[in-house]
Amino acid sequence: MRKRYRYVALELASPLVAIAFAVLVGAVVIAAIGKDPVEVYRIMFTFAFRRLDSVGIMLFGATPLIFSGLAVAISFRAGLFNIGVEGQYLIGTFLAALAGFALKGLPSFVHLPLVIAVAALGGALWSLLPVYLKVRRGVHEVISTIMLNYIAFSLIHYLIADVFMDRQQGLMPGVGNPLIRTPKIAPSALMPRMHGFLALFGVDLPRHVYLNWFFPLGLLLAVAVHYLIWRTAFGYELRAVGHNPAAAEAAGIDPAAVQIRAFLLSGLIAGVTGLSDLLSYFGYMDLDFPKGYGFTGIAVALMGKNNPLGIVLAALLFGFLNRGAEGVQTFAGVPMDTVVILQGVMILSIVVASAVMGRYIRRQERKEALGASW
Amino acid sequence: MAFLELREVTKRFPGVVANDHISLEIDRGEIRALVGENGAGKSTLMKVLSGLYQPDAGEIRLDGRRVVIDSPRRAIELGIGMVHQHFMLIPRFTVLENIVLGSEPARGGVLREREARRVVGELCRRYEFALDLGARVEDLSVGAQQRVEILKVLYRGAEILILDEPTAVLAPQEVRELFVNLRHLRDQGKTIIFISHKLDEVLEIADRISVLRRGVLVGTVRREETDRAALARMMVGRPVLLELEKGPYRPGEDRLVVEDLTVPGPGGRPAVRRVSLRVRAGEIYGIAGIEGNGQSELVEALSGLRRASAGRILIGGVPVTEGRVRRIRELGLAHVPEDRQRRGLILAMTVWENGVLGLHRSPSFARRGWLQVGAIKKHAQSLVREFDIRLPGLDIPVRNVSGGNQQKLILARELGREPTVIVASQPTRGLDIGATEFVRQQLLRARDRGRAVLLVSADLEEVLSLSDRVGVMYGGELVAEFRPGEVTPEEIGHYMLGGRSRTAGAGPARDGAPGGAGRGEAGSASPGTDGAAGAD
Amino acid sequence: MVSELLASAIRMGLPVLLAALGAVYSERSGVVNIGLEGMMIMGSFWGAVGAYYAGPLAGMALAVAASVLMALVHAAVSVTFRVDQIVSGVALNILAYGVARFSSIALFQKATMSPHVQGFTPINIPGLDQIPWLKPLVTNLSPLVVVGFLLVPLSHWVIEKTVFGLRLRAVGENPLAADTLGLKVFHLRYAGVLLSGVLAGLAGAYLSVEHTGMYVEGMTQGKGYIALAAMIFGNWSPVGAMGAALLFGFAESLSFRVVESAVVPYQFIKMIPYALTLVVLAGVLKRTTPPAADGIPYEREEA
Repeated sequence: MRKRYRYVALELASPLVAIAFAVLVGAVVIAAIGKDPVEVYRIMFTFAFRRLDSVGIMLFGATPLIFSGLAVAISFRAGLFNIGVEGQYLIGTFLAALAGFALKGLPSFVHLPLVIAVAALGGALWSLLPVYLKVRRGVHEVISTIMLNYIAFSLIHYLIADVFMDRQQGLMPGVGNPLIRTPKIAPSALMPRMHGFLALFGVDLPRHVYLNWFFPLGLLLAVAVHYLIWRTAFGYELRAVGHNPAAAEAAGIDPAAVQIRAFLLSGLIAGVTGLSDLLSYFGYMDLDFPKGYGFTGIAVALMGKNNPLGIVLAALLFGFLNRGAEGVQTFAGVPMDTVVILQGVMILSIVVASAVMGRYIRRQERKEALGASW
Repeated sequence: MAFLELREVTKRFPGVVANDHISLEIDRGEIRALVGENGAGKSTLMKVLSGLYQPDAGEIRLDGRRVVIDSPRRAIELGIGMVHQHFMLIPRFTVLENIVLGSEPARGGVLREREARRVVGELCRRYEFALDLGARVEDLSVGAQQRVEILKVLYRGAEILILDEPTAVLAPQEVRELFVNLRHLRDQGKTIIFISHKLDEVLEIADRISVLRRGVLVGTVRREETDRAALARMMVGRPVLLELEKGPYRPGEDRLVVEDLTVPGPGGRPAVRRVSLRVRAGEIYGIAGIEGNGQSELVEALSGLRRASAGRILIGGVPVTEGRVRRIRELGLAHVPEDRQRRGLILAMTVWENGVLGLHRSPSFARRGWLQVGAIKKHAQSLVREFDIRLPGLDIPVRNVSGGNQQKLILARELGREPTVIVASQPTRGLDIGATEFVRQQLLRARDRGRAVLLVSADLEEVLSLSDRVGVMYGGELVAEFRPGEVTPEEIGHYMLGGRSRTAGAGPARDGAPGGAGRGEAGSASPGTDGAAGAD
Repeated sequence: MVSELLASAIRMGLPVLLAALGAVYSERSGVVNIGLEGMMIMGSFWGAVGAYYAGPLAGMALAVAASVLMALVHAAVSVTFRVDQIVSGVALNILAYGVARFSSIALFQKATMSPHVQGFTPINIPGLDQIPWLKPLVTNLSPLVVVGFLLVPLSHWVIEKTVFGLRLRAVGENPLAADTLGLKVFHLRYAGVLLSGVLAGLAGAYLSVEHTGMYVEGMTQGKGYIALAAMIFGNWSPVGAMGAALLFGFAESLSFRVVESAVVPYQFIKMIPYALTLVVLAGVLKRTTPPAADGIPYEREEA
């Protein structure tokens, strides 16, 4: 039994090794631009954890990553790569904005869930074509989803700039240019922030923090996904197909049907990714709406080893890194994008570490099993 | 003095001695055939000779000198060329490219195509091989592809050629052509080792024949001094009906009926040709035969993994020929697959998860989509207990479980479903004695409980001891059907190697049967009417 | 008019051509290279850097060096460590994005673009530039255009007529058979991936140094992925890849002209290359065949 714990520890080791390696590389990069790495890291930590607003901002920053990480992980577990979370969440966000500003007079408890549902469906819709092409025509979903990402960019651009642009923005004539954005979303569709709730516990979040209820929603979703994957018949089939489609087929499971369902589910979750920003921070969708949650979601899924708990932790880690980067830029003069390199290095290290570690563990387990008598 | 000498060559694998102190002498310019059943040790011995395996004991001498063959490259340097059973060719490359790859005539990195063509063309002429050097290998007939493989080793200067089951995939005319080529090669001084289980062919081409059985060399005879019957006897031995507890034979109604089934195999050619059989409740029907004669495809068709192109399959009277796996399983068919790690288990998942693979949606294990983990674990627990599977726990990934326990788990799972029909394919392959005994006992117990069992096995002893009725498959057809004990081992061997039978459904006439001699001779030995031949 | 359109198509299509050519080398050896986009990003950024400090030739050299370094990582991760080739490629693309941003700030104080850089002096093809209707095609050319088009028949020759090319292809079709014949599978696969790095780097450098005159973040716009589709459409051959790349280039140049007439919103025109890629992949995949061992890590089985 003790051996098992040893192996579990080894499996956990790969993300830790990846982080350590990335920290090292980061230190080299920081030194290369003439700053003291230890000092920079210290600033990063104190900035992120010593301030209340930072903690709130970290959680806010982690929220979309939880969703996109879960979306990617579900597809990975079924043996597919959903690189299209980028496009799926943009489409979902836009449709949510549409439902948010186009529908008026609805009470909050109807409007908000409706908007969320619309976002999810938008994401699922955008994931339908790639999985269909994969299952029926063998088109690799990596390329097809990436193409749809670019198509989504153009489509959203058109919809925001040319079709739904808010022309009634209250501006003084002659001063400034109108923002290229959709009309503002009705208040009934906005997601309240957590300030009131946290105040009950004596926690007073500053006004400029936008931590909202999508964060706990994300945590709940992570729990739900955990149960889905490990405790439902569908999750069982999903994992079976992801591991060994031949055995799944022999057991009477239909691999194609399972993969389609898994990918659509992935799209559903992806669609909701942008809502924390949309419904709590911006209140409208403009051309500068944050992009990149999709790719970072891939990183989060890999770091979290496609496990909901790991994904939450990895999302928090990235939230920390992003916040820390802001502090480091302001107080230490190190460009924020150091963090992006850190993230990139982390991803590479984790996939290598996982592969190597995984093989080593497997070989050890095998040796033991063969050594033991029946 | 012999050209190639093996002295006491021994090779062991965990649990089995594949080659047991084998000593052989082969002369230069001889065609030596090496025969034996599956698992006799022929392939292993040849892998030792060609540098893929290292012997645990014994030595090899070439032209009187001791040699150590520690890699395939070393073997080639010594002039030993292996022509694999599964061709190592690049389908999209031309014949010429395949032959010269790795030892290309070149100048400054540029291929000298004309030079290559000249050299290889010369080889073709010398050994009288007819080949279009510019053709793509994937467009060639199997016989031609084989010639390419042979040329590969000749191009690299092989003096000893090892051919592993070369006629397994050839049509009769192609076999003719191959033999012509082999004789040429021999006449030019090459030494040929020819592995096969097809006795007719071996008797035609070989100068001498060595027989292996269960890792041991039974003997070497000259072609003139022997015949099919003698070889079959050496190869098959006297199967001992194992002491197993078997209930009385009281077959019930038909549970599995196969009518005129034809199933396509690789390359579109039919792997199963118009096979008809029926398995009744409370009986074990065994399919004997050397692997590769359509058994796998038959099993795949029965379990729904492969589509039949003609014929019918009925399970409990219900036709399922265009059946999907799920439906077939729902009708009560359980499948113990021959490739257990690929089809039978999900290695990355735990023992208890594998315990319900295929049953995970049944009411006791999933309610409204939710897995009843408690019930599933309990189920796994009882499987493990009943089938005596020794494990440290249920939570370990099944890939860390021994082969024997893996098979026990599959068996436990499938038998635990109370199926009406059980299709078990090579169920004891690779298992140690204990696990093997266990598996066999379980199959018998299922049969005694009224199940219909279809057993496919390359182990003849196993088939004969367990089955109530036996069918022999050869070339995709069911060529004989009898009850164990009705037929002599020689006859069985004869059927397994292509002889015609008196009882099985006659299939289409075989074209170009190589030499009527062998067949006719055995044919005349069996009685013309139905009735038990004198056992043994 | 036609020749002008064609010339425009060539200019648009060249990056895809170069990258697709690189992809051919990599995939023929059996390694899927999703990281092409990232290598192009590196090429476009470091090409601008080199050109800024030391002229266009330095730009090309630096671009190739950076891109090859990235390719080396991809090869190590996917061939030696046998990590899934897609995951490796995706990870590298993310990394490339970060490195470009960071280095841009470090060098130019701006994350998303570089200063203007000087490209090569445009050349004319002598003799042919006298023919009026050929004029747009053969005058004012970037030397990279000439290089690119020469690389196509050169690549064809290398792949089909040299020892290296034969062995490269063998390793992509049946690495086991190649191994039994004594070929070094890993070495050959590394070579394929590194070559794709060289060409992707050139492709990116062309975009920044020659085509646009500066580096802009995101300027590659998915051309690395389109190059993969072009390679598939071109049936994994250099000439086919060229044809497909020109097709995409043509679609793109057409889109600019349509924008001017403003009949269809330009965003939809921008979608054309990507939509075209989807159509191509969906329709075409059934009849083209990749190298047999493409995408499968090679592991020598222990006896």
